[in-house]
Amino acid sequence: MNTIAADRRAERTYSTTQRADRLEARAGALLSDCRRAFHAFGELDELAENLRILSLNAELAAGRAGDKGRAVRALTQYTRELVNRLAQIQGEMNGLRTQTYALSSNILLGLLRLHLFERAADLVNDGSHPPSAMRNVNRAFAETMTAMVDTLDSMAVAVEDLARRAHGVEEVVSQSDSIATNIAIEAAAAGVHEKEFRTVSDTMRRYVDDLRKMIDEASECVRRAFEKAESLRRIGLDSLLGISHHQLTR
Amino acid sequence: MKCETLFRSGDHRWLVFGQDPDRPANVIDTNQYVICNGANAMMLDPGGLEVFPPMMASLTHEVALEEIRAIFLSHQDPDIGSSLPLWRRICPPDVKIYLSTLWSGFLSHFDRGAQFTTIPDEGMEVLLGSDLRLRFIPAHYLHSSGNFNVYDPAARILFSGDLGAALIPESARTGTMFVTDFNAHIPFMDGFHRRWMGSTRARDAWLAAVSKLDIDILAPQHGLLFQGDDVKRFLDWLAGLDIGSGVAAMQR
Repeated sequence: MNTIAADRRAERTYSTTQRADRLEARAGALLSDCRRAFHAFGELDELAENLRILSLNAELAAGRAGDKGRAVRALTQYTRELVNRLAQIQGEMNGLRTQTYALSSNILLGLLRLHLFERAADLVNDGSHPPSAMRNVNRAFAETMTAMVDTLDSMAVAVEDLARRAHGVEEVVSQSDSIATNIAIEAAAAGVHEKEFRTVSDTMRRYVDDLRKMIDEASECVRRAFEKAESLRRIGLDSLLGISHHQLTR
Repeated sequence: MKCETLFRSGDHRWLVFGQDPDRPANVIDTNQYVICNGANAMMLDPGGLEVFPPMMASLTHEVALEEIRAIFLSHQDPDIGSSLPLWRRICPPDVKIYLSTLWSGFLSHFDRGAQFTTIPDEGMEVLLGSDLRLRFIPAHYLHSSGNFNVYDPAARILFSGDLGAALIPESARTGTMFVTDFNAHIPFMDGFHRRWMGSTRARDAWLAAVSKLDIDILAPQHGLLFQGDDVKRFLDWLAGLDIGSGVAAMQR
């Protein structure tokens, strides 16, 4: 009898520990990818400011060039619109970061509670406790897991939002690249102002390259985070399915 | 986790849980108490998060979770009630949580969903079931500024929280829940009381109040329980103790 109880306990300890560990490892990786994505975007405001200053200087140069600077002036105004768009994305990203970190702390707290309920379930599942004890722990575990799945749903939405912002920055990068190309073309026909416009165009390309690196790194983190959020949600749902109606009511 | 019945008269029981052999060494040992009156139970200081799994397992051998009507928290420390959100998940949804009025906003850091029934500074009396009267006795500043004991006049047991607490090294444990040699026990509680208890005025006021009670068992939240003559020995020892030793460190 004791051997059977011990076997059951060992079996349960194995399965629950595996479930909690799987959740915990993936949650840790998800939060780490989110942190990396936000970190990658950390220099976005500085780059946007540099781009804004560059567009102001380019506009001054275009003014000095008179008619030959007319097209460049239009391009710099367009650049400033892109800078405003970047500032808007940056503001949205700050809100998203606060939301993501709040969700992360809920996930960590939920994991701690799941671990403790699992430990309690392992101790109660020894054949000597009344069935109501196991039923109560299972119900508490299921409620906590349901809340966890809800949080993971919100996390997945937050990661999708982050992906949308990253895509927004990508568009800005692509348009800035086109502007830099057009300024270079205008420079070729600007005579004595060529050097000045070419400097603007080269500097802009450098900023575009920096933005592109930032986007590549962040997008990769966002992609991984999204996959992990989805996989975590599936594990959570599987766990809930694993706690059968019978276990909650018997 | 060990469980002992401290008192039994009909369906009125006092249970103590503690001395968990699987407790990690760095987690301070705590005693959890449960008072039962028929199908109504009150947990006193249910413990910290780490204690929850073994406590839950041990408790459900003795008491059905559906019978827990109330949880009493003597003060705000994590070893007292950081497990509260877990207990609330498995106890009936209308479980009452008693706590000093000072601490409800602070305890919400552990459990923002908890609704507290706050205890006024002067204490209060509550009914467990239809006929068991329990008294929440103020023990402020000993050590917490909003601190209560629980007295059961029928069982003549005083749950004294950190008063009477002792930190007993593994090597000195004999397996008993009670003090068997008061003088030998003093070193395990001396440093704790000198440093944790800060107010002589509060100590004297508490001693004056508690001395009027009939106490067979004085049950602290850490260490061994006092029974019989050891209760008076403890009160006399505490009356003569130089407390507030932390002040010396500030005067250097």
